[in-house]
Amino acid sequence: MEEKKKENLKRICIPGQRICRADTSNITGGKGTYTRQGYICASLAGYIHIDRQEKNSVIHVKRGIEQNVVPEAGSIVTVKITSVNPRVCKCSILCVEDTELREPFRGQIRKEDVRSTEKDLVELYKCFRPGDIVLARVLSIGDAHSYFLSTAEDELGVVISISEAGVPMIPGSAEMQCPKTYVTEPRKVAKVIPEHIAVEKKKA
Amino acid sequence: MAGLELLSDQGFRLDGRRPHELRKIECRMGVFAQADGSAYIEQGNTKVLAAVYGPHEMRGSKSRGLHHKVLINCQYSMATFSTGERKRRPRGDRKSQEMTLHLKQTFEAAIMTQLYPRSQIDIFVEVLQADGGNYSTCVNAATLALVDAGIPLKDYVCACTTGFVNDTPMVDISFVEESLGGPQLTVAVLPKSEQIVLLEMASRLHVDYLNKVLKTAVKGCKDVYVILDEVVRNHVAQIASSVGSE
Repeated sequence: MEEKKKENLKRICIPGQRICRADTSNITGGKGTYTRQGYICASLAGYIHIDRQEKNSVIHVKRGIEQNVVPEAGSIVTVKITSVNPRVCKCSILCVEDTELREPFRGQIRKEDVRSTEKDLVELYKCFRPGDIVLARVLSIGDAHSYFLSTAEDELGVVISISEAGVPMIPGSAEMQCPKTYVTEPRKVAKVIPEHIAVEKKKA
Repeated sequence: MAGLELLSDQGFRLDGRRPHELRKIECRMGVFAQADGSAYIEQGNTKVLAAVYGPHEMRGSKSRGLHHKVLINCQYSMATFSTGERKRRPRGDRKSQEMTLHLKQTFEAAIMTQLYPRSQIDIFVEVLQADGGNYSTCVNAATLALVDAGIPLKDYVCACTTGFVNDTPMVDISFVEESLGGPQLTVAVLPKSEQIVLLEMASRLHVDYLNKVLKTAVKGCKDVYVILDEVVRNHVAQIASSVGSE
């Protein structure tokens, strides 16, 4: 036990601490590191984790608890729709990739970013409703108020939606059906692989 | 020098320290559950609490947000009971505003600001008891709180206030040593790279002495670093064992 503790202490690093040379070896710095004067240094206090791959190893510094994340251009986010109007749909960003945010960021999906085909025929009311859980990709950090998001991919769109009867609806191709009342509502449905949905439901 | 002798013939200061010795430093990290990061530090009788929130979405006026880096929002406040005479305004007076600005400058140099564009990090420091070296204690406390919050830093920031009496630089001066006048040099450094992020001088000092005082101050900062380092390592190990990831 004592020995194990010692070994752990050795692998703890603190901000500014040099981890290794950056130039010679085939090692690159990942999260929680930065490069200074040819050395990879830690920028977080935590443990060193090395992802060994065939040619290149990546060094991360990980803390015991979850990391701080902010949405970046290109990342997939999970959002909850808060309001819909004919031009733009506002939402709050709940998760970035697979990390849950401690507090939501604001985002918006503009009409032209909902799908990649027939952009001019999009009617936002037929794509999203307030309360829907949607997978989206961050286009850019947007204007001063919110991130710009896009669902113009097959895998992106509504994943969870509650019907008026209060039950989660079953996704179809371009609509969702309530299992209780059999009412169908139009949505921009995400074509997610089934096992992913199961995980999402557990989370919700 | 007014009645009191700051440095005795034997080379001891009023509280019995030698010129190069720091006061006793005690610190704790993660003292608040609500803040993302927090720390409490005592340097002698100077006691400071620091809390860090963020990075989160811009609060208040959205237009303050920066497109290429995170906005660092600091607040320095002194508890009304922190000084000998009860304070009227804990924050917002000229002195606090200046301290706030200095803190902001200091941490903009140390935090890797480019990682969180359009977001905000709040750093709140509160002096609970003021006994000299307030600014430097606040910097040290805020550093610990930032590390606790898991905000990427280029390096620690360690600060130390140094006085100069009888041709001798004295590190980490207390309130008495501060109030008797004489030059004061406050330095905040990134100890690994020895870069100075803040240098402030109060009253006059001959240029010939500057190097000597500065060297002593930087040495003081490095001594502080050793202490903070140990605290952080213990804290990380403790968190990991409680989370059970290692």
